[in-house]
Amino acid sequence: MNKREGIKQQAKILTLSGNSTQRGKIRLLMPGAWHLFTLGCMVWPIRESLAQRKNGLSDYENMTVDSTQHRVYYEQRLYRNPLIGILGLAEALPKQDIDTFVPLFQGVPIAQYRLGTTVSTTTITKPERQEWRKTHPFNSRNYKFDFRLQPEFIAQFGFREQVVESKTNLLLQSQLYLSRGLVLNWGILFPIVNQLDNQALNVRPAPIFLNQFLALDGVNFVSLSAGLFYNDQYGVNVQYRHVDLTKNWSFGVEAGYTGFYFFPKNGFYYQAPENLMLLADVAYRIPKQDITLKLSGGQYMYQDRGVRFDFIRQMGSVEVGFFTTKTSNGTTGGFNFATPIPPGRIARTQRVRLRTTEEFRWEYAYTRGYNIASRYRVGYQLDALLRQYHSRYLQNQYRQYQ
Amino acid sequence: MANVYLYPFTKSNLAKTVHTVFAMVLFLMWIGCPTVLQAQVNISGKAGLLYIPSAEVVEDGTFSAGYAYNPVNYAIKFNKRNSESIYFVNLVVLPRLEVNINLLRPNGSIPFKEGGIGDRQVDLKYVFMTEKGKRPSMALILSAPFGVDNSLITEAIVATKHMPVTRSITAAVTIGMGSPYSIGRRTNTNDILSDFKIYDKRDLPYYYLSGPFGGVKFDVAKKGGIMAEWDSQHLNVGAYALLFGHWTIQAGLLNGDQFTAGTSYSCPLLRLPKRFRKHE
Repeated sequence: MNKREGIKQQAKILTLSGNSTQRGKIRLLMPGAWHLFTLGCMVWPIRESLAQRKNGLSDYENMTVDSTQHRVYYEQRLYRNPLIGILGLAEALPKQDIDTFVPLFQGVPIAQYRLGTTVSTTTITKPERQEWRKTHPFNSRNYKFDFRLQPEFIAQFGFREQVVESKTNLLLQSQLYLSRGLVLNWGILFPIVNQLDNQALNVRPAPIFLNQFLALDGVNFVSLSAGLFYNDQYGVNVQYRHVDLTKNWSFGVEAGYTGFYFFPKNGFYYQAPENLMLLADVAYRIPKQDITLKLSGGQYMYQDRGVRFDFIRQMGSVEVGFFTTKTSNGTTGGFNFATPIPPGRIARTQRVRLRTTEEFRWEYAYTRGYNIASRYRVGYQLDALLRQYHSRYLQNQYRQYQ
Repeated sequence: MANVYLYPFTKSNLAKTVHTVFAMVLFLMWIGCPTVLQAQVNISGKAGLLYIPSAEVVEDGTFSAGYAYNPVNYAIKFNKRNSESIYFVNLVVLPRLEVNINLLRPNGSIPFKEGGIGDRQVDLKYVFMTEKGKRPSMALILSAPFGVDNSLITEAIVATKHMPVTRSITAAVTIGMGSPYSIGRRTNTNDILSDFKIYDKRDLPYYYLSGPFGGVKFDVAKKGGIMAEWDSQHLNVGAYALLFGHWTIQAGLLNGDQFTAGTSYSCPLLRLPKRFRKHE
């Protein structure tokens, strides 16, 4: 869809859902000559942002409405729970017109969800994707300059006088959408506290890395990352996952080759890559309670080999997990969770947005200091991302809406 | 002209600011939930009375977190020497299955090498029988064995029955039995599944929940209540209040001697934001 068509679509949405004054203003613009059109284009951003704010559409990016198919393509980065994005959009758009929602991730469609008495999910096949790519050229201007505040809390239980030894930072992070699926993650790290190691409290770059998300067809997904990751590791990371978002079984592999880096007060310090990580997993969903049972294994960081079992439950916008792992370095267990941090959106103009992170992820292992099944973090894990789009997870929540 | 455009901006900016400021508060009160979540919790953060747990079924997906103060004469770790602070989180991870994680820390100074940061403990509670007609609900509570030298170890079987007294007052009667035996370990190595031994709480100078226990709680309109319990060693009485549907404050008198107090906050994770909840 080109820009003018986009504007037309927006106008359609406005006329359908806006109040009478807005409708009147649009009519005023219609019979105008070219200079009026130019003026209209200048005023448009203001009017659009006003109307969108009213309609709740400005949470969404890269949105195109296909009214013949009753379908909307959109991306939203504000809510961890995709259903909140879908329902928010369903409320903002004229109901009788749109019933099919295609969320994009980094500009790539994930799957298609039709809201009726239930959520019916269809995967998007390879020819459909090719066709869609042709008709929807990627334009990074469809995305906001989105800044998010992401706390980082690396902690361990310390000793009596200092119960929790932590390295707490606040990261101001952003993403640059370079092409379809390709995003540059970057940011600034503001250190708050460090009782964990002797790294200075200097303001430094947050993890900077490129990520390419690929949907090969309806059920095969790839994530490629390269750059400076979290947990002081730099290098490359490749993840592949086979998952049908309407089925219960899925499997994936992950490989990474990384080394240590950090930003001292002056400059940049790094060591040669030394950590080869090779992991494979198979996961099964118990659909009724949105439980994922995941068995994974292989080589973790520091040449530590072993297996890990995860029990993960998706509960609304929150995910809670318990795990146990046995490797050559030892046996331990713990829990993890992922949660959005309120209040979400803090400030917004049409092009720029500041918000709190949609996902704060944290894991606790009972044992520390033995490097048992340790790993670093990249932007997202493919399995965690995709299970958020599973049909049953959305359907189970949709019941409260119906 | 400019003013015409500025007016709605200013207005919406103001509204937005107000929204942002109160968003935290709204998040905390998120929900305005109609059904009562977990209200009264015991010393380790489980549904219960003051010390004793109950077999109440808490709504699936309920998360709660809180703090309890245990006075010095009834302190479990260093009895009559250090009062205790207990921090806890509790999650109904599956219908009828709760996971409770708590950290017990002695207050004040303790001699070097006698204690570290406190006891980290994980407990599981499964309600294997729900209330129906005259039948009470029954639950089994087990402490995970891999904690080192934990104080609040709960190995118990418990039954609870709710009985309406008046229209707004409900009595919940709980009886149970705590086992003195537990499986645990005393070493902190890289293997949490090693070195298991059977321990008897009664070998300790002071211990928690061993033998028969019971109690009754009167709940008034799901807003507060009073309770009395036999915790297997002492008779305790207490009261609690539920504020804003989520926040509980509670206090009790232990053995007619010293006061305990605690607070907890609970929220239902499985619920969509209110604006999208068409019906419950």
